[in-house]
Amino acid sequence: MEDKQLSYDESMKLINSMIGKAKKSYVTKGIAAIVWGVLIVLCSLVTWAEIRYDFDPGFDVWMLLLIALVPQIYFAIKERKQKKFTSYEEETAAYVWTAFAISIFITSYYNSKYGNDTNSYTSLIMILYGIPTFITGGMVKFRPMITGGIICWVLAIVSISTGNDIDMLLMAACGLFAWVIPGIILWNRNKKRQAENGI
Amino acid sequence: MEFKDLDPILHSQLRLAIVSLLISVKEAEFTFIKEKTNATAGNLSVQLNKLKEVEYVEITKQFKYNYPQTLCKITRKGIDAFEQYVNALQSYMRPG
Repeated sequence: MEDKQLSYDESMKLINSMIGKAKKSYVTKGIAAIVWGVLIVLCSLVTWAEIRYDFDPGFDVWMLLLIALVPQIYFAIKERKQKKFTSYEEETAAYVWTAFAISIFITSYYNSKYGNDTNSYTSLIMILYGIPTFITGGMVKFRPMITGGIICWVLAIVSISTGNDIDMLLMAACGLFAWVIPGIILWNRNKKRQAENGI
Repeated sequence: MEFKDLDPILHSQLRLAIVSLLISVKEAEFTFIKEKTNATAGNLSVQLNKLKEVEYVEITKQFKYNYPQTLCKITRKGIDAFEQYVNALQSYMRPG
């Protein structure tokens, strides 16, 4: 690109093209969503088996979510090293997901201290799952995440009138629709983009 | 129809490309702008410095993971100038 004078039409085209290039540069590989989603599905199904078949894995399976933070942090640092720009969407998404993590932590603490009512707690958690998923999907105009967020809320409503075992299946469905499926779509999109650009 | 003057700083291909990129992101590395504009490092440096002189862009030099990094960010003044430029362009292009 040179430092030449432009006609009005050329200027408008250039502005649109550069804004489009910047928007297309915001790419997430979907790994974090897949890892998190698979763990939610796994933990929910194991908990369902515990309730339904009196099965005991010998440890609290939800502790796997804490262990999963290690690869999540590793991938986040790796992505950050490769990043050449910060988008407004990313910054806002970071605040939204931090708020989600804090809310989940406080809700868990509150439930263990005062309620320990697994049934209503599961519904609450599903409502919380829907919030960051829906907002992030809307922000980056990614329909599978918007749909995933709505599904979490619908399943949260269903869970109000179901028992603990069914709640766990609904929770697994939340993990699948909110994170695993959108994550796989993002992963495939990224692979396709890399193939097109010869990366 | 009243025609507004186009900002001569922005009415140049590379500088307009830089500002259009920076308006869409919070901040960007020099290498990102170079990649997206296909400009040479020398020319990009000159144009970025012109934008910095008129305070449309902020440039920060720092180290990231032991490598030098140049970060560019559009300023409030730069955003206002870009908006005025787009409004002026639209008034020129509007039929009648």
